[in-house]
Amino acid sequence: MSAQTIPFPTAARQPPRSQQLLALIPGTLLLFAIGLAGKALESLGIFLRAHHHYFPRIEYVLWAIILGLFLSNLFTIPAIFRPGIATYELWLKLGIVLVAAKFVFADVLHIGAMSLVLVAIELALSLTVMTILGRIFGLPPKLTSLLAIGSSICGVTAIMAAQPAIDSDEEDTTTAIAAILALGALALFTFPLIGHALHMGQQAYGVWAGLAVDNTAEATVTGALYGDLAGRIAILAKTARSSFIGFVVLGYAVYWASQGQAARVERKALFLWQKFPKFILGFMALSILASVGFFSAGQLSSLGNLSKWAFLPAFAGVGLRTQLRDLVTQGWRPILVGVLGEIFIALITLGMVLAVYHHGAAQ
Amino acid sequence: MESPTRKLAFNADAAAILIALTFAALIRLNIIHHITW
Repeated sequence: MSAQTIPFPTAARQPPRSQQLLALIPGTLLLFAIGLAGKALESLGIFLRAHHHYFPRIEYVLWAIILGLFLSNLFTIPAIFRPGIATYELWLKLGIVLVAAKFVFADVLHIGAMSLVLVAIELALSLTVMTILGRIFGLPPKLTSLLAIGSSICGVTAIMAAQPAIDSDEEDTTTAIAAILALGALALFTFPLIGHALHMGQQAYGVWAGLAVDNTAEATVTGALYGDLAGRIAILAKTARSSFIGFVVLGYAVYWASQGQAARVERKALFLWQKFPKFILGFMALSILASVGFFSAGQLSSLGNLSKWAFLPAFAGVGLRTQLRDLVTQGWRPILVGVLGEIFIALITLGMVLAVYHHGAAQ
Repeated sequence: MESPTRKLAFNADAAAILIALTFAALIRLNIIHHITW
């Protein structure tokens, strides 16, 4: 999700800040236009069905993604739009911070703590399995590390946080990111089907999506496609998972430094703080304010609605940045390792979630 | 290969928190009365 840690060789002479911000406008407008078109199509469908016409029963979330996928995969997005499309990250984080108004802080602690336990188990298993798969299929060791980090923690954010820490090649990083993004797109369409087939409740499904889908954006969408509550629970579980990012990246950085293939991490506490996703602090702050009665019910409803408006361009960005052709152009081995690893993680987390909810531990 | 992601010119975490808290304050102070969906 974050792109702040990627070193850019051409960044020596950057344009002035005002010029950089102006460059964001076209792409940002495109994100909102696609998101609004998605919302308009949902409304059009409701209207047409009410008047006995056929129209697919698709929610705005999926419309926004489909429109984004359609544009980015069938056409070449002009370069003028690219800087602004990257702001999807801002809208996603804004939506997550604002959606905290819909949570009681006690629920955040309860579901968050339960998710942390499940995440710890998921992490240990998925890192191990991805490493074994990488060795079996003969992937470069650092690409294996990146895929393991990306699939176990937080997708693109974790990969980009790890790149400078383990000093991996730009090509390995790009391959790992493309594989994780392409696999995330597959999750969008398969998880809701599995959830419905298993008659999963909103909360159980949300926790599963948050634990198993790699990127925060895709996890949010995968949850939202199942229902409003599932979307919010997925954000909560995913946020708990993302909080581990510093520890895992630090572990890999220490390992590769011990192999003499990366710089030594001198100040580990500072390293952990730098890698910590800070928007989680905003999420916690707003949830506490909402829980202590700082806002009226109407004001909380407004904040919840505002989070939906913020998610609208973020969902469009998920579609726009997903290149389905990457499934075939990145080489079969990283994708196969990714697919096998993701299936393993999805099954393990599904088993854990069903066990927890079946036994009533999370009720 | 071109990286599929881009660097933003600002800190998205800080910006997200700032915008969210600003809207929260405007709503709390009734400067923004109601946001519909």
